[in-house]
Order: sequence, then C-alpha cells, then structure tokens
Amino acid sequence: MSSLSNPPAGDDPNWVAPVVQYDSPAKRQETTAWVGMVIFLASWGMMFGALFFMYGGIRARATEWPPEGLPAIPLFWPTINTIVIALSSVTLQWALISIRKGHRRKLTHGLVSTFLLGLAFVALQWKVWIDLNEIGLMHTSGFYGSVFYGMTWIHAAHVAVGIIALGWLCIQAVRLFYSAPRHLSIRLWTMYWHFVGIVWGIMFLTVYIL
Amino acid sequence: MGLDLAEVLVMELQPIHAPPTSFAKKYLFTIDHKVIGKQFIWGGFLFLVLGGGLAMLIRWQWAFPHEPVPVVGDMFLGATQGRIGPATYNSIFTNHGLIMIFWAITPLLIGAFGNFCIPLMIGARDMAFPLLNMLSFWVWALSGAMVLASFVVPLGAAGAGWTTYPPLSTNVGMPGAGQSLMVGAIFVTGVASIMGGLNYVVTVIRYRAPGMTWMRMPLTVWGLWLTSILNVLFVPVLGSAGLLLLLDRMTGTQFFIAGSTGMGANAGDPILFQHLFWIFGHPEVYILILPAWGMVCDFVAFFARKPAYWYKGSVYAMTAVSVLSAVVYGHHMFTTGISPLLGTSFMLFTLIISVPAEMLFLNWLHTMWKGSIRLTSPMSYTLGVIWVFGLGGLTGLHLGTTSTDLYLHDTMWVVGHFHLTMASASFLVVFAGIAFWFPKMFGRMLPEKFGHFHCWSTVALLTLVFVGQIISGYAGHHRRLFDPYQYTFLEHLLPLNRWVSYFAFALAAIQGVYAVVFIRSVFAGKKAEQNPWEVGTLEWTECTSPPAVHNFDTIPVIVRGPHEYAHPEVRRVLGRDWISQTEPLGDSEQATGGAAAAGG
Amino acid sequence: MKFKHFSHKLTSLLVWIWTIAITGVAWADVPKEKGWGMPTDASLDGHRVDWLINITNVFITILFVIMVIWIVWAVLAHNEKHTADYDHGDSKHHVMVALSISAFIFLVVDGNLFYNAAKDLTQAFWNFEKAEAAANHVKIEVQGRQWIWEARYEGPDGKFNTQDDAVTTNDIRVPVNAPIIIQVTSPDVIHAISFPNFRVKVDAVPGSVNQLWLQATKTGQFEISCGQHCGQAHYKMAGRLTVMEEADFKEWVAQKSRDSKQIYDENAQAANWGWTWRKY
Repeated sequence: MSSLSNPPAGDDPNWVAPVVQYDSPAKRQETTAWVGMVIFLASWGMMFGALFFMYGGIRARATEWPPEGLPAIPLFWPTINTIVIALSSVTLQWALISIRKGHRRKLTHGLVSTFLLGLAFVALQWKVWIDLNEIGLMHTSGFYGSVFYGMTWIHAAHVAVGIIALGWLCIQAVRLFYSAPRHLSIRLWTMYWHFVGIVWGIMFLTVYIL
Repeated sequence: MGLDLAEVLVMELQPIHAPPTSFAKKYLFTIDHKVIGKQFIWGGFLFLVLGGGLAMLIRWQWAFPHEPVPVVGDMFLGATQGRIGPATYNSIFTNHGLIMIFWAITPLLIGAFGNFCIPLMIGARDMAFPLLNMLSFWVWALSGAMVLASFVVPLGAAGAGWTTYPPLSTNVGMPGAGQSLMVGAIFVTGVASIMGGLNYVVTVIRYRAPGMTWMRMPLTVWGLWLTSILNVLFVPVLGSAGLLLLLDRMTGTQFFIAGSTGMGANAGDPILFQHLFWIFGHPEVYILILPAWGMVCDFVAFFARKPAYWYKGSVYAMTAVSVLSAVVYGHHMFTTGISPLLGTSFMLFTLIISVPAEMLFLNWLHTMWKGSIRLTSPMSYTLGVIWVFGLGGLTGLHLGTTSTDLYLHDTMWVVGHFHLTMASASFLVVFAGIAFWFPKMFGRMLPEKFGHFHCWSTVALLTLVFVGQIISGYAGHHRRLFDPYQYTFLEHLLPLNRWVSYFAFALAAIQGVYAVVFIRSVFAGKKAEQNPWEVGTLEWTECTSPPAVHNFDTIPVIVRGPHEYAHPEVRRVLGRDWISQTEPLGDSEQATGGAAAAGG
Repeated sequence: MKFKHFSHKLTSLLVWIWTIAITGVAWADVPKEKGWGMPTDASLDGHRVDWLINITNVFITILFVIMVIWIVWAVLAHNEKHTADYDHGDSKHHVMVALSISAFIFLVVDGNLFYNAAKDLTQAFWNFEKAEAAANHVKIEVQGRQWIWEARYEGPDGKFNTQDDAVTTNDIRVPVNAPIIIQVTSPDVIHAISFPNFRVKVDAVPGSVNQLWLQATKTGQFEISCGQHCGQAHYKMAGRLTVMEEADFKEWVAQKSRDSKQIYDENAQAANWGWTWRKY
C-alpha cells in the first residue's frame, strides 16, 4: 500500500508538497466546476460555431443578400435588444462582484434586474419575429428565412434556459443562501449568461448588420 | 506528524461516502462509475446484437437475393412473405450503421471502459461529476428507446443511410416519424456523449492522485482523454446538423433543401450538411479508435513485460491525430464538386495524418521486440487488433487519394476499409479490454483457452469477410444496393458475396457462443485474485477484485510510470520483473529509476 | 391535304419504329465481367487510376508482410523464456530511427500517391481546358432523378434547353476518341453519375451543377451506375453508355434532335430541365 513516510532521497521534481500546495476541498471543487463550465461552454461554442459556418457557407456564395423579393431585417428593435442583453450582462457581473464582497442585498438586486432584462429580451425578440412575419419574412422563406429564424430560435432557447436558472438563483438569493465564500452557482451561471450575450453579439453583427 | 497530516488532507479531498443500500441506488440510478461502466456494457451488448442481426440480413440479401429469410422472415417480414423489400433493405443498412456506431461501439469502448478505468487508473474515488455521469447513462438509454421506437412507427424506420444526407433525409426523400425519431435519437445520444466526455476531461485534469503526472498516466487514459476532448468539441457540430435537419423536417425551413422543392437562389444547400456532418464524422472515427490505440499501447507493454516504447512519442502521435482529425474531413466529399484546391489540400492532410498512426505501429512493434511475451488472451486480442487495423489502415490510403477515390468512392472498398479499422479493431479492443479487466470488474476470470479460440476465429473471419468486401469493391461493387446483380457489371460477384456471407454467419455464430460464456463467467466464473496479470497500474495493485465502492482505502501516491517492467534493479531487489506505480524501491531506484520514470 | 396528313403520320410511325430499333440495338449487351479485377477499361485516362491503385497495393502488401513477420518472430523468439530488455525507447537514437522509418514510408508510399494523384488530376480528370479545346468534344447535360438518367444534347443551334435539344432517358451515346464533357444535377435528392469502365464519378446535387469529363477509346456498351444512395430504387438506377463511331453518333444525335423537336412543348416546365452551359 502507498505510504508517504518514504520521501525520495534525491530531488524528484514530481514530489508533491501537500501542505504548501494544498487547496481547501471547497476551493478545489469550485475550480473543478469552473473547468467543467469552461469545457461545457467550449462545447456549446462549437455548436454555435457550426451554425455560423453554415450561414457563412451560403452567404459567401450568394450573389444578392437579401435574396430578391425578401425584406432586409429592420435594425431598430434588434439594436434595442442588443443594448438590453448587454445591460443584463453588466447587472449580472455587478451581482457577482457584490456577492464576492458579501453584499447579499446587492446580489438580489442584480439578479432580479438581470432576470427582468432577460425577459425583456425574449419579449422583444418575439415582437421582432411577429413584425417580420407581417412584412413577409417567415421561417419558410427559403434559406434566408431559415437562417434568421433558426439561429434566433436556438439562441432564444439558450436565453430561456438562462432565465429559468436566474429565476431559481433569485429565489435562493432571497433565501440568503449565498455568501462571500459560497456562491459557486452565481459564478457559473454568470459565465453562461456572458456566453449567451457574446453569441448574440456575433449574431447581431453577422445576421442583422452585415 | 506533518506527513501523516498531509495524508489525511489528501484524503479529505475525496471523502469516502457510505455505500448505497437500495437496489435502485446500487444498480439503476447509481453514481458509482464502476457500475455505470457495467450498465454501458450491458446496454452496448444489447444494441450490438441488434446491429449485428441487421448486418446478417444484409448479408442474406446479397447471398440469396429475394429469398425469404429463415426464422426472422416469418416474424418480421410477413407482409412480403419473409422476403426483404427495397425500402426495408434501406432501413436495414441505415440502422445497422447508426446502431453500431452510436449504440454499440460508443457505449462499449468509451462508456464502459472510460467510466470503469479512468478513476481507477488515475487514483480517484469517482468521476468529477458523479451525478452527471449517472445522467449520461440514462440520457443514452433514452436515445436508445427513441431508436427502438423508430422501428414501429408508420412509414417505417430511417432509411437514408447512416450518413443521413439531405435532401434524401428530409421530407423530400424520407417522410414519416421514423427518420425524424432517428435524427432526434442521434441528437440525444450526442448530448449523452458530451456529458460523458466532459466528465472524463475534467476528471483527468483535476483528479489525478499526487505524483500522477500527465506523463505517468497509462496510455489507456491518454486515449480516453483525447477521445473525450474530440467528443466535447465535435459532437456539437453533429448536434447542430441534426437540429437543422429536424427543423427542415418539422417546421418547413430550408437549410438543406434545393432542387425542384427549393427556392431557386434562396434555396438551401445539401452539401452544407455534408460539411457539418463530416467535420464531426472524421473526428468521430478517431473518437472510436483512440481508446483502442491507448489500450493497445498499454497491453503490448504489459504482456511483452517491457516498457512502452517511446511513451512520449505515442502521446504526441495520438495528440497529433486528434488535432489533425478536423482538417481531413473533406476526403469524404471528393466527388461532391469541391474545388481542386480543396480536393488537393484534403488529400495532403489525409496522407499526413497517416504518419502519426504509423508511428504508433512502430512503437508497438518495438515494444514487442526483445520483450518476454506472455501470450495471454488479452495479448492475443491485442495482436488481432494490430492485424486488422494494419490491414484496414493501409487500405485507407487509396481512399484519401483523390484520383483513386474517384473510382473507389461509394464502393465496398470503403465499406471494407472502415469495417476493418473501425468495426473490427474497435470490437477486438472491446474484447481485449473485457478479457483484461473482467477480473477487476466482476471478481472472476474468463476462461483463457476459450479467449484464444474466440480471438483467433474472430480475427480470421473478420479478415475473410472484410477483405472479401475490399476485393468486391476493387471490382466496382457499389454499396447500399438492395440487389447488386441488377447491374450487369456486378453479376459475376454473386459467388464472392455468397462466401463473404457464409463467413459472416459463422462470425455471428461464434459471437453467440462468446455471449453465453461471458454471461456464465459473470455469475459463475473462476474467482480472480487481485492482480492476475502482474501489472503495475493502480487498479491492479491498490484495489481488490472487484474494488470496494470507494476504490482506494487511501488515495495512493505515485512515484513512477505504468510500464516499469524488466528493470534490472527491480529484479535484484524484489525478485520479479515488475513494480507497481506506488511501491517504493529504496533510495537507489528513486534517484535514478524515479527520474527516468518521470521523464519517460 | 389528306395525303399530306397521312404521309406525315406514316413518317412519324417509321421514325418511331427506327428509333425503337436503334434503341433496341443499344440495349443489346454490356460485356459481362469475369474474375475479381476491375471492370473493363474503356477510357483514355482510367489506366492512371488502375496503375496507382495497383502499385499502392504492392506497397501495402510489402509493409503488411514485414509487420506480420516481425510480430510472429517476436512472439516466437522473444517469448516468456526470453529476458526482456529494459528500454524505454526514448533515447535520441531511438527517436531518430523511429522518425526516419516513418518519414521514409511516408515519402515513398504517400509521396508516390500524392505526386501521381496531383499529376493525374491536373493533367486528366480535372483538366477541363484540354477537353474543351478539342474540336470534336461533345457537351452533355444530365439530370439524374429518382430513378432515371435523362440526358440532353445541345442540338444544331448550339444552345441548351431549346427546342432542338436531343433528350434521352437512360441512354447516353457518345463518339469514340472524343472528349465528352458532362454537367449533371438533380431536382430531388443527391445522386452520383458513375462510369465504372471509365473510373470516374461525380455527385448530382440539387441546386448545383457538377462537371466531369471522359474519353472512350473503344466502341461498345457500358453501364452507368448511380453512386449515391437515393432512395428505394437506387439499386436499379442503371443507365446505358453507348460508344459509337463518330459518323454514327452524328447521325443518331441528329435524329434524336428531330424527334425531340417534334414533341417539344415550351410550357412543359419539368421537361425543359436544361440550363445554360456553365463555365468552369
């Protein structure tokens, strides 16, 4: 069986000095969860990457965009939405910073604001879809319509997941569940929320503006 | 006192929990990686039988076209008097391919061995996320249920080939719930793969025992870890392709639909699907072989009683293959009308990716040379893997070369090639792994003599079947044909096909015997000792057979690599040709051998 | 008036009898293959593919045999009675030897493959300029659809999808010793037009037009196969390629053009599936 009572006589660079490098179990677990989240987001990033690749593939070869007879995507409300989601990332980051310092009330405010902004995003997105339907751009409008609706649907589904999570986090925060040393969920969901926001940013640039 | 405190502190990072008591928590909704691994074995074997049965139907149709199928014909093909019809045939080869890849090889090679071996081999008590692990099995099981459901819905099961190319796989070519259920099942099993892959990646990064540096891990773990990275990065690409295809099928979008049902300049592009599919698809074949390569590296060392030759080289080779895997995918699309620049570039990269694989082979050959080879059943299987993978890999050269691929694309050469490399090699490795880890998993031994017989008869028959297919492909035999003999230029290949089918039936029969022996040994095999193979990795030296629920009483501390065999100092001091990863040898070995082991 | 009408009908009847007779001759016999070799090579450039496949087979057989001998020798000579060598194989010397062997195999086998494939592709298979430069080249548009091959020749006006196009079903005829450039698409699912006796194939993809070219060196009947799973009757999507003498071909295509002109209907959208010849 293993025994630590036999340290090597020579200078083994791989010898672990447990006391010096020791992390508390909680911190160790947090870092593990953080690594997991990074990989999870990399995975999800590849999925969105594939969607952008798909869009780019056809767009690069298209002679006119939008194709003949189809409307360009209006920019006003989507721009508002971009501001909304950017703001929601700010409020959530502020919430995270607050709980790191132990400010429970600010955490709750931040979470609730983010939650409401998320809801606003989805609502505005819904409005944009309806508006576009009325001027003749539907998901059945060939590749152009498919790309627009397909990508925004998938993105919206991810936002919805985030909103549900935020709702749960709000409830937990109100119950005073989080503290300075213990708020791993906030940290992880903040990473997720920023990710969803960044994907929106890229989508806004490539699908709406360009 | 400080050192004992350290021991205690290290233990606290992975506390020992009370073992589960209820049946549900022990066998069904278990979070124990060892039990989850076994769940994947049983699940995988079940689908292997289904996938294999479908293969037998293909072989029947090609040997005895339009004849009623014995036994099975009356049960399932009543409407056509026991004969296989064209649409049914299309569903048969489609589901054979999909089931074998996602519901047989993946759970067996990656789900079972990944789960069982990784924590034990790196000195951890369980995976990083045990609950996620349990979910990954049940999500996989859900996807399996969706596959089974796709067989019983109106308009039949999926039938667009395992590659599911649109527009054939859209409502244009394959209306009905069967194809949709299958695409959905592929998506769901992808989710399960990502969950599992994430777990493996994080566990290896974060839960290696003290002293278990990256370069002291068994190569099995390297293979499984690289596979998991590919899984996590590339399965989502398949997921997006599947999702978009489902949207096309179910909501009226047109990502992949063109032609008369398309919208002219605003139509989709069927070739886009192929890009997405193969950006996943080529890494997928490496996903299915990397664990095998890792295990072969280890087994050759264990049973040649010699260190794995140029350990770092094997790591670099496997890593290089992983990195290159995504830039070779275009060799599946040489005939789709891609530009000459792309055609030539993909050819170049495909030829380059054969080099790391070559290096691995050389490492295996050098490990064996001047060893002290113990021809155990795991070693037999391992040699069989080297045989079939050598054959199969070499036949891939013709496919990676654009001009020869213009002729060989869509012929049985392709089918023979991937069945040798993917099916034969991966399955033989599953058998090797089972032969090797059976004592650790079940506390019993599989009969050795039967193992040798099973191994060599399987290798011989696999060779006959799939080299036979390669020969027919050389003669121009297309794949996926309900009745190849409708083509005049293929009529003369009936005798060849018939012989291949006979060999295939014999192959299936032998696996049936294996199944019986396997099940019998699980419950009534000879009791195993702790380390029957005299191997130095952690699961053999630090755990009982089978291990306790918590794996290790104390988390081990590792002082050398996993292949320290034939060390003269060890022979002198301990009187045997091996030493475990944790055993101290004394000052002299630590100063020299430890450093060598740390570097090598 | 009556006689003209009658003679018009008689002519049509004779034309149809003649067409059926000619088609019947065409459906006479594709040569049966024997043994396990590649199908009869009837092409100008197919031998390049044959040579490359065969030489690579020689290389891989040599490599495989060496590997098997090595393994068998090791298992027999370095068995349990042999004392194993303690060697991690990671010394500079060993690494250089391993890399050198790999590099050598790569350069000889893979290098040969790459060099010859690149040469064959640029000189032959993808060398459309050479095909188009030949004065006697023939352009054919093909639509593969579930589950037949329709072919279209441009006819005397030199334009595709016009009234005088010669249109056939499962029956492509070409002159011997002339480059034949084929553009292909599909209206429904992906097919692939495959010429086993010429060693080439290309996908017929809905929404795009792909191109290949070939040149026959002998007359006769050859099969066209479908090289991409396309649904229920994929297995019998066989077509016939007839290679004829130039004079016979010209006569046939002129006759076909006249036939098609008679039944041309500019409103029949599905029948007028041709396209303006694409420039590659």
